Amino acid sequence: MSNWIEVLTGSLEQKRQYREYKARLKALPEPYASAAKAIDRYVMYYGGLTDGDTMVRLLTDHIELWERAATDATPLREIVGDDPVDFAETFIRAYSGTQWIDKERARLVKAIDDAERETLR
Amino acid sequence: MANQMTELLKGTLEGIVLSLLAERPAYGYEITAQLREQGFTDLVEGTVYAVLVRIEQRGFVDVERVTSEKGPPRKVYSLNARGRAQLDEFWTAWSFLADRINQLHKGKESS
Repeated sequence: MSNWIEVLTGSLEQKRQYREYKARLKALPEPYASAAKAIDRYVMYYGGLTDGDTMVRLLTDHIELWERAATDATPLREIVGDDPVDFAETFIRAYSGTQWIDKERARLVKAIDDAERETLR
Repeated sequence: MANQMTELLKGTLEGIVLSLLAERPAYGYEITAQLREQGFTDLVEGTVYAVLVRIEQRGFVDVERVTSEKGPPRKVYSLNARGRAQLDEFWTAWSFLADRINQLHKGKESS
């Protein structure tokens, strides 16, 4: 859980934005606050983003979504649907910043390329 | 049935949203409402929002923030040149798929 906080230590501006985000999260009325916090938690686990700028962009969009929903009194299920996991993952995947898994993806692609070259030789 | 519909829609929703934005700029809720009127009654706002975030991140739309009487500003999305190119590609892929699938369907009926 602490890994991505460290990512944000790079920039004071990002830290300030993150504090602001947390405050906005707290200020949401229920049930939006609980829902937003639950998705926030999932983003931290699943997201694996290692790029502070991308993380800030994602979180800003996230909080705006809930602030808008709270203002419009949009039913909770209208936002997260029947499958909140699918919603959260689709949302996170839109941000193509560096993820810890990217290194492993590149490694897998290279391993298969190398293996293919072995047989062609 | 509902599940299969959801899966099929997932792959095409980006193209559908781009084609709506090609007609005129809109914000998230307008797009959801429009699609519901057209029969996608199970579609939720959050799903459309996720598509909008995705196409914004990929640079297919321009975004304008329009202040609203209440709450945060609304983001109005409009298709840009990259988005139009993406939409053309979508229609090409769609025509091919629809054609092939219709052929399969016809083949079944006549046998």
